[in-house]
Amino acid sequence: MREKLINVFRKTFEDLNIDETVSQKNCENWDSLNHINLIVELENEFNVSIEPDEMDEMKDFYAVEKIISAKLKA
Amino acid sequence: MRFYVFRNFTVENLFGNPEFIYSGYNDILTCDYQSDVYLWLYFVPVALNRSKLKDEIKTYFQSIELIYNNVPANGTFLIFTLRDFYNIKYQNADFSVENEIDNFNRQVVQFAKERQNVKVVDISDFVCRYSVNQLVDWKFFCLSKMIINPKLATSFKSWFFEQFDKIQYKRKKCAIFDLDNTLWGGVIGEDGSNGIKIGGNYPGSAFLMFQEGLVELMNAGVILAICSKNNENDVLEVFRENPYMRLKREDFSAVRINWDSKAENIKQIAEELNIGLESIIFIDDNPIERELVKAFLPEVEVPDFPEQPYELLPFFSFLVEKYFSVYELTDEDKLKNSQYKANQQRDLAKSKFIDYSDYLKSLEIEIRIENANKFNIPRIAQLTQKTNQFNLKTKRYTEANIRKIISENNLVFCLNVKDKFGDSGITGVLILKRLSDAEIEIDTFLLSCRILAKDIEFAFLNEILSIQKQNGIRYVNAVYMPTNKNSQVSSFYEKAGFTLVDEELGMKKYKLDLNNITLKEISTLKIEKA
Repeated sequence: MREKLINVFRKTFEDLNIDETVSQKNCENWDSLNHINLIVELENEFNVSIEPDEMDEMKDFYAVEKIISAKLKA
Repeated sequence: MRFYVFRNFTVENLFGNPEFIYSGYNDILTCDYQSDVYLWLYFVPVALNRSKLKDEIKTYFQSIELIYNNVPANGTFLIFTLRDFYNIKYQNADFSVENEIDNFNRQVVQFAKERQNVKVVDISDFVCRYSVNQLVDWKFFCLSKMIINPKLATSFKSWFFEQFDKIQYKRKKCAIFDLDNTLWGGVIGEDGSNGIKIGGNYPGSAFLMFQEGLVELMNAGVILAICSKNNENDVLEVFRENPYMRLKREDFSAVRINWDSKAENIKQIAEELNIGLESIIFIDDNPIERELVKAFLPEVEVPDFPEQPYELLPFFSFLVEKYFSVYELTDEDKLKNSQYKANQQRDLAKSKFIDYSDYLKSLEIEIRIENANKFNIPRIAQLTQKTNQFNLKTKRYTEANIRKIISENNLVFCLNVKDKFGDSGITGVLILKRLSDAEIEIDTFLLSCRILAKDIEFAFLNEILSIQKQNGIRYVNAVYMPTNKNSQVSSFYEKAGFTLVDEELGMKKYKLDLNNITLKEISTLKIEKA
């Protein structure tokens, strides 16, 4: 799961060095447009729907991981 | 290539960066002057007040006129048509928004028709593949002002570039067909020339429509050819005697009916027509033949053939869409098939003469050199895109590039050729760049392979160089840049009297001193001066 998530980040932000420490603060490519691209990729990859308030919360890798894994368990 | 997008919605996710630069929403005043292509990509706003919406759409055409006056004249301007994604109706009989949209779409088509560098991209062609709920994801619309669902971004981008390729004129030149169960149902060898299925009821009706489509393709300048394992006389009998055949023997510019390998036959057809394998598609119902051709000639496109005759109509539209559609046909396209047929007659005439120069004189070749102008620039750009064999530097240009070259005070010429068999139209391009008052460089020199081997290349070059000499030019620089298709011209400049000054990795640089050379007159043809 974590590995799959990291791959989504790497693909979306076109940066192979990204790991679980990535956040909007330390990643230049994580701008508003790529945030949408990230959401689209996550929705496709995990077949989930991410709601607007959840999008706002997704400010770093761990937040994304928490939301997605909660959705997958539900 | 750099694109500038005028937009009223978020479209960054459709094209990405960094080749694309975006205006502010609804901003028509700021503009990037360095782009090659300008896109006007507006979507009908999602509006609950329909009469306000109607008024807003009305302003779009005016804003396009404003933008057009603002963008550089050598840029290409692409206008997308409008489609309403949120078409609510308070009264079913109220068509005012639709009418305004129709009106806009008609206006831009007319606008493009009157201007060389303006083209229309029909958004309906993309939109019609999806339902509204697929097209718009209202979550992303509300959050990010994206009207096209970001999940369709990849499809949208590839659709856009398909359209853009058509505008830039990239298409196949020739379709080669098998016969039995491809152009008609059944097998001649078994069913006889009148027993094959063409016309009448299904499945003959399906093959008939397929043939009708191919006639249209031929009229649009696609070359048709046959490659079939059959007895030639049986096939000729079908063409001669079966009254339902829409295609006639003479519609095919090259024909190979024998029992040899199809790959070998296709290679021969390419040589006979003087076209590259990569501009050919091969159509055959037999999967084994298709696989063999794919294996031996990977450059040739070999689409899968439908299992059932009723699938021929969608198959035909797939062929057109994928391989043959263009933004607009040039006059040369419409003439092309008759030109290839005239070439066959020329070859026949050639066999009657023993002395080559007698033969050349008998062709009554006349060439006319023209400066580039707005009527021939599309064809000039097209030739730089498509010519592979007789092309000394193989530089590819768009119409916008050509206009830019001219605007920078360089010289662009094109060549018209006709002979007693027909008019080949514009078939050569020569671009000279000015280095100084006395020195020029040949930036592009190419001739279409339809007119090769008739000394036209020397006549064209010498005529232009002698004019340059009169205008005070002394030195001419030239370069041969090797590709895997143009080896036939690797020594062209030597033959034309140039001196080789440098050679590296096959690239040859030349210089010519016009004071030290007598440009030979070509006596076998007539030159009409520009």
